[in-house]
Amino acid sequence: MSGIVVSSRVRLARNYQDLPFRNRMSPQQAEECVERTLAALRDLPEAYHFRTLRGLDDVERKALVEAHLISPDLLGHGDKGAALIRQDEKISIMMNEEDHLRIQGFAKGENLPDAMENALSIDDTLQRHLAFAFDHQLGYLTACPTNIGTGMRASIMLHLPMLTLLKQMGKVNQLAAKLGLTIRGIYGEGSEAQGNLYQLSNQVTLGRTEREITEAVTAVAKQMAEMEKVFREKTVAKDALAFEDQLYRSYGLLSHARRMSVKEFMVHWSNLRLGAAMEMLPISPDDCDRLLTNAQPGHVQKAAGRTLEPREIDEKRSEMIRSALNGGT
Amino acid sequence: MLCEECGKKDAEVIVTTVVNGQSTTRHLCRECVKKYKAGDIQAVLAAMLSAMGQKQQSPDITCPRCGETYQEFQKTGMLGCPECYQAFRKELTPLITRVQGRAQHAGRRPPVSEEEQKRLQMMEDLRAKMEAAVAEENFEEAARLRDELRAMTPAREE
Repeated sequence: MSGIVVSSRVRLARNYQDLPFRNRMSPQQAEECVERTLAALRDLPEAYHFRTLRGLDDVERKALVEAHLISPDLLGHGDKGAALIRQDEKISIMMNEEDHLRIQGFAKGENLPDAMENALSIDDTLQRHLAFAFDHQLGYLTACPTNIGTGMRASIMLHLPMLTLLKQMGKVNQLAAKLGLTIRGIYGEGSEAQGNLYQLSNQVTLGRTEREITEAVTAVAKQMAEMEKVFREKTVAKDALAFEDQLYRSYGLLSHARRMSVKEFMVHWSNLRLGAAMEMLPISPDDCDRLLTNAQPGHVQKAAGRTLEPREIDEKRSEMIRSALNGGT
Repeated sequence: MLCEECGKKDAEVIVTTVVNGQSTTRHLCRECVKKYKAGDIQAVLAAMLSAMGQKQQSPDITCPRCGETYQEFQKTGMLGCPECYQAFRKELTPLITRVQGRAQHAGRRPPVSEEEQKRLQMMEDLRAKMEAAVAEENFEEAARLRDELRAMTPAREE
């Protein structure tokens, strides 16, 4: 399933016992939340970058959201938010989001255990020094009761172009919902999944252990990947040349276009990723995934070092894509 | 009218949800309806809170620590502080059980000292005995156990 699963992510919600939740927090208490977190994590062995929203311009904020290192929600709540991000971007600790802390662990491919380990290592370090709000019946207490218990959301990102094309996502959604899981599109407003990328995650956080949650999400992700694989093989078996033709058309556009919107990019990127996963195009899935992030508006502007007009973004994007695919011709 | 979920777009769809025999009617925009269809847990919680608001089941309780009222929680779905879970326990328990499907935490716990662990175990035993006493309608014994339990609960930091 390596060609289908893109990445794994685990998020833990934690709150300090003696501080009110965000809605009732004073600016001083929000600062206290950041200060004590930083103090407790001072001795981490790896290199981390500390970012306050106050110190970030619009472009940098967007780029961090695109890389999933901070959430859009963190931006929506004034300047109190901050994040501590490990240099290799496998761990990110958001402060003053909906909860005092949102600890995120990341891993490439289908690997929730590693993503979870990354997040739990921070949880362990913090709990050696500090007390989180906890109730013996309700588990870790969170600002919204939908996150109590483990406070954990485990998600797996999948690339499902054939399930989408063959209108199977409705069925897949129902299957996930029955098991207490949910599927959302990423990089897109509402439920429209741009790039045929989907995020599968648990909804229920109380009454299941962390391991039960990651195992359930992994099991369903595997099932979805298997379905996608079967549909890919069937489609190729039907008319291999037609399939290849589609992939190469997208490859051709991406490597030669001069101005490309993010919406158009996402359509062709999906074909590029599909071709890479099936070893039918001269690019690796990893390079595709890097391209995906780098082509988002925040990243394009960050690379340019300034805020750009929408048309300039589309031009710089296609320049970047061309250089990634064929050295800039 | 505006969508009751996002408060931004026009409500175009009326959604009726029935959870454990309790029906809820909400006016939503097309975007927010999609969340319902996906079984979004936040949307389900909002629906239940709104149903209670409509039926005026808004108990007049205020969290002694942060001042959050239960009505405020019904509006936002957000609590004011960890203590709110204690203050609104009676109201929150059925809500949590419905949204989460379960009512008892499983999984990681904060690290505790051995002494603390013993104390917690004793409290757990007392609670079980108390519940058994209530079930047997032995209220005198239950009250005695309740007092014993209270004495074991450490005073809260203010």
